[in-house]
Amino acid sequence: MADLKTLVVGRKDAVDLDVEQELPHELMTVNMGPSHPAMHGTVRIVLTVDGERIVKGDVQPGYLHRCFEKESEYATYTQVFPYTDRLNYVSPMINNVGWAMTIEKLLGITKQLPRRAEYVRVIVSEVSRITDHLTCVGASAMELGAFTPFLYFLKCREWLYTLLEEVSGARLTHSYVRVGGVSKDLPVGWTDKLLARLDEITAVMVEVEAMLNQNKIFRDRMAGIGALDREACIKWGQTGPIARAAGLDYDVRKDYPYSVYPELEFDVPVGTTGDCLDRYLVRIEEIKQSMRILRQAVAQLPDGPVMIDDPRVALPPKTDAYNTIESMIRHFKHIVDGIRVPAGETYAFVEGGNGELGFYVVADGTGRPYKAYVRSPSFVHLSTASTIIKDHLIADVVPIFGMINMIGGECDK
Amino acid sequence: MSDTQAPPPAPDTVTVTIDGVAVTVPKGTNVLEAAKKVGVDISAFCYHPGLSIAACCRQCLVSIEKNPKLQPSCQSIATEGMVVHTKDAQSTLARKQMLEFTLVNHPIDCPICDKAGECTLQKLYFEHDAADSRVDTPKVHKPKVKDLGPNIVLDAERCILCTRCIRVCDEVAGEHQLEMINRGDHEELTTAPGQQLDNPYSLNTVDVCPVGALTSKDFRFTMRAWELDATPSVCNGCATGCNIEVHHKNGRAWRLVPRLNPAVNGHWMCDEGRFTYHELREARLAGPVVGGLPSSWDKALKAAADKLTAALKDPGAVAVVLSAQASNEDNFALAKLAAAWKAQVFATGRPAVPGRADDKLRDADVNPNWAGVKAIAAAAQDLAALETGVNTGKVRVVVVLGHDLPVSATAHGRLREIDAVIVLATHDRGPAKDATIALPIAAWAETPGSVTNRDGRLQRMHAAIAAPGQAVAGWEAVVRLAQATGVKLAWTQARDVWKDMTAAVAPWKDQPWGREVRPMQLRFAGSRG
Repeated sequence: MADLKTLVVGRKDAVDLDVEQELPHELMTVNMGPSHPAMHGTVRIVLTVDGERIVKGDVQPGYLHRCFEKESEYATYTQVFPYTDRLNYVSPMINNVGWAMTIEKLLGITKQLPRRAEYVRVIVSEVSRITDHLTCVGASAMELGAFTPFLYFLKCREWLYTLLEEVSGARLTHSYVRVGGVSKDLPVGWTDKLLARLDEITAVMVEVEAMLNQNKIFRDRMAGIGALDREACIKWGQTGPIARAAGLDYDVRKDYPYSVYPELEFDVPVGTTGDCLDRYLVRIEEIKQSMRILRQAVAQLPDGPVMIDDPRVALPPKTDAYNTIESMIRHFKHIVDGIRVPAGETYAFVEGGNGELGFYVVADGTGRPYKAYVRSPSFVHLSTASTIIKDHLIADVVPIFGMINMIGGECDK
Repeated sequence: MSDTQAPPPAPDTVTVTIDGVAVTVPKGTNVLEAAKKVGVDISAFCYHPGLSIAACCRQCLVSIEKNPKLQPSCQSIATEGMVVHTKDAQSTLARKQMLEFTLVNHPIDCPICDKAGECTLQKLYFEHDAADSRVDTPKVHKPKVKDLGPNIVLDAERCILCTRCIRVCDEVAGEHQLEMINRGDHEELTTAPGQQLDNPYSLNTVDVCPVGALTSKDFRFTMRAWELDATPSVCNGCATGCNIEVHHKNGRAWRLVPRLNPAVNGHWMCDEGRFTYHELREARLAGPVVGGLPSSWDKALKAAADKLTAALKDPGAVAVVLSAQASNEDNFALAKLAAAWKAQVFATGRPAVPGRADDKLRDADVNPNWAGVKAIAAAAQDLAALETGVNTGKVRVVVVLGHDLPVSATAHGRLREIDAVIVLATHDRGPAKDATIALPIAAWAETPGSVTNRDGRLQRMHAAIAAPGQAVAGWEAVVRLAQATGVKLAWTQARDVWKDMTAAVAPWKDQPWGREVRPMQLRFAGSRG
């Protein structure tokens, strides 16, 4: 018994592990995922570990591949919207808007959209951004043991999902936006409900921040972990919260303004260290900025139609489709053949939940894309994961992955 | 343009400028066709390249410089130096207004209309107008279901009075069976006095109808046009070999429509040919049969090999019957096997129907491939010689391709008494019914292959649908028979058979197999109007 007192269980970091010679050890290969509670979505990491230290992390996505790009070639431009819902499925509205904007750019009607439609798009996009960040932050905190913030945030997310459900009819896969506007107007009284919810979420945010920001366990596991500096971010094509956490001031809404964002006031938060803690702080601040945008957008929301008045793009009202041959043919052609997009190719991009979400579409003059490509931020961000997790401990994979916020649907397309 | 030293155009061509692009066309070409050459698709209803010009729909109006008024491009012959504009404000407006006018009395039938999805009116309206109607007077009503003849029903409300169908009857069939009556918005298509629409080319009127006014009783309400897949093929109804498209879905052919081939059938085909697809589903042989009982390929081939090996010891005891109903590949494969067996070769087909012949597309010979059989096996004897062989007891095993074996009653009786009748049959009828061994093979629409028409033109067919049950391509069944009897035939795809065949048959030397054509979804083809 006396001997036990002399045993000192000291804190060992990765370097200590390296030089420890007493115990013979060999590298071990373990699987993390594809089905692992701490893996966002279905992704597999084959870890080669030296004790607790990661020597090599082989990230293998692809378990959720749905052939988004190939499928799009067989769907009309409108039929692609449901597929975009499933890209980043915690912020489907932004994906919808991105796709619609690409097609509108091809059609040359970007500037002709009704102002109300633009505002509605911005509102639903920002609500979606909040749901995205709430999920990301909440889930990551939960994986580090903070279960309460997770429940609080998911409660908030559910309020927002309920609101989006009222708008679109679907809780998660909204398919709400259309080329030329949005499919239907906001329900009466919806904006009031939204503002009320924003106030409630603000209160929840205060609680959650109090629980996390100065929490020693949380900070220890986030600060200094998985850092990428500004240059590395540029080199790796990082965008969104990851790039901003490293001090790269890039936000599509500011740098390539689209829709009515120039008319709205908001700040782009940036970090300094580029580690997981900064990524967390940037996301928290972005939630607040999104709420700021929402309050302004609701105040400025103009009246008017939510769909462009162009018979080549807009579906005719159902009553007309049933009662006039002209609208009937239009309806038929829109549904069966799709919107006729003139031949050409273009790239349009929006600030998605995770960063720059872009669509590159080649049109051949028919109602279906000749080729569609999506620049999904998660895919780009995941490309850094093997590099970042190297030399970290196995336990660090969890916060790193949480803050990269890989969304399977978006990464695997 | 002046600084380029272009050679002066040949005297029989003219150069016109259409939307700023110069195009040289043969003299006598109309502006509409000239525009097609530079990729300008001028909208039209009444114009059809295979018919005379009526210029009654006014949809193809264009501005021609030095002409005060818009001109119908279908009727304007291109002349040297003519400058045509199709996208200027005047002709664009004319197109829009004509479409608005055409739609004034058009019924709201798209959801129940057979033409929806391949309708020229839908296509042109969506491309050139797409605006709302400004008319709120009630639509003029006309008969919705008007029986014009045995194959065709007219919905007079949908008719846009283009008169294409009248011209098809007059010019393709050579029979005046349709006419317009009344005037203005009461104008209506009807049958000519004392006539009904029953000429042998009547269903071409349905093809050329730009809307769903004329519908085929055979096809109407069966399938939505845009859900069909199209595979190019050749009609197997007679020796003409009209080029067709098989429109199919879910492994079933739903209609045959003509495919343009100026050298064979132009834009048209006959009604009888269109209905030949029904045979693809009627009384098909789906599995091998031995002694009248369902069997398997292994057992059937074993039984066939037993009979054949015994008979093959005696030269001349095996007879092989080629079929003018089968493709070149099937016949060539069987002829090759017969040569290896040193068997006697005969050829047969369906008997001629002299009554159906005309000087247009219909031929008295109702076999698609007599010319091919003759080219492959010039020395093939006719069935009279087979009858003699069977009656004298010399022939002990007969291998028949197809299900045509027109022999006398005596010979028919004798055939039951010989060692074996082995039939490679698509259908469970004719000799397949009482064959010793029947092997199922694919019909013309189910396998790639070729047939040779009455002019000796070798034409490719493509596989549209799957063969039923265990049926395989004819040549493949021959390969299996060969292997069972120890003959080496090593073809694994139709293309290999073709390669050997074109090498062996002199007139077909170096004919390319061409690309395999996969079915095209009509939804991607746009309107075919």
